[in-house]
Amino acid sequence: MNKFFTKKFSITSFIFIPIIFLLHPSWIGFLGVQPYWPLFWLLPWSMMNGSINGLVFGLFLGLILDSLTLDNNFSQIPGLIFCGFLFGRIKFHSDILVGHFRYGLICSFGSFLCGTLYLSQILFRNFSDTNFLMFIPGVKNILAEVFLTGLFAPFICSQLLRMFKFSRKKLR
Amino acid sequence: MLEIRGISSSRRWHKKKIWIFIGIFLFLVFVRISKGSLYKDFFYFISKPFWPGQFQKEVILKSLDQESLIELNLLKKDNMRLREILSLQKSSNNNNISAAVISRKTGGWWRQIILNKGLKDGVEIGSTVTGPGGLLGRVNDISLFTSSVTLLTSPESKLGVWVDRSKINGLMVGTGDDHASLILYSKDADIKVGDFVSSSPASSLLPPNIPIGIVQSINETLQSKKTAKILLLANPHVIDWVQILKVNI
Repeated sequence: MNKFFTKKFSITSFIFIPIIFLLHPSWIGFLGVQPYWPLFWLLPWSMMNGSINGLVFGLFLGLILDSLTLDNNFSQIPGLIFCGFLFGRIKFHSDILVGHFRYGLICSFGSFLCGTLYLSQILFRNFSDTNFLMFIPGVKNILAEVFLTGLFAPFICSQLLRMFKFSRKKLR
Repeated sequence: MLEIRGISSSRRWHKKKIWIFIGIFLFLVFVRISKGSLYKDFFYFISKPFWPGQFQKEVILKSLDQESLIELNLLKKDNMRLREILSLQKSSNNNNISAAVISRKTGGWWRQIILNKGLKDGVEIGSTVTGPGGLLGRVNDISLFTSSVTLLTSPESKLGVWVDRSKINGLMVGTGDDHASLILYSKDADIKVGDFVSSSPASSLLPPNIPIGIVQSINETLQSKKTAKILLLANPHVIDWVQILKVNI
């Protein structure tokens, strides 16, 4: 069992994303907003396994996370698919320190992309009546999410990447 | 010979891999269609040791007393008004279900809470959920052990409410912020800062006279309608126990 967990760490860690998404630890939040958790897993996964894998697992993540939220009219799938594909094209950096901060920037950009796509869906859906009421809170959400995701990404992504590499070595 | 065998076994593995991917994909589609019931039930079991304790009840009971006083006042007024015209609706509080909040998403895009009571406890989609202070939202999805509630602040929430002082009906929409917005489709609507907002007796979604909030500010810049920012009385950030109302409207 232990062996399975170390060897298939990348897959087993995938299961914990919806759980942390539901857990929503408020002490990490800023302005009531949480970091965009799925990107922390998607970035190392896509960097290790390429764009197609990133795209597929972006879709998988989107399907699961959409099923846990009640907003039937809006979806996280487009943002996650796009991020998965984009992250897969990123190469590893030789300098570890630069690499660390790069994860922060990439995740911030990904979070901005996902947030913008989500907000545009909300605005499009409520185009006629309440559009103007939702714009400012939406921008606030995006900015807080971008900040938090960028802040935590260097720690979480580099740790996950190291673990994924370790489990892959074990597999060989 | 060995090479050929190697190639054919790699192809077989490749084919197998595709089938595994299709299997995972179909399973996830099933999860999506079932609105994540499996995950929510799994979460129900693993979060069980961390559910809020009984001591919370004391705090809640105090808040409930205050809420009851406001509600009583409203009901008296409503009763007098209805006696004058005609009795339209009936509501009873005998079938309330107490539930603990096991997951809370009250900031950001998703504004929902998950409760530890579900289909097995008789919760139905559309049931009203109240907490200390007043209305929190409506049950939007249920699994065997859990029910998910769309909060009033969610962009998906749209409810008919009324301003108690002037008795005007309006539409309350969630804006993805901690406040909700009240839209009154008349430029001349009589509304003031501090007015009390409750569920409308004319609403087909909610039982009447559930306290909702207080008007905090009014925006009159629009030509055909007035909008007001509503400070909600029930605070979903801190509430650990809620009541699910099984009311036949």
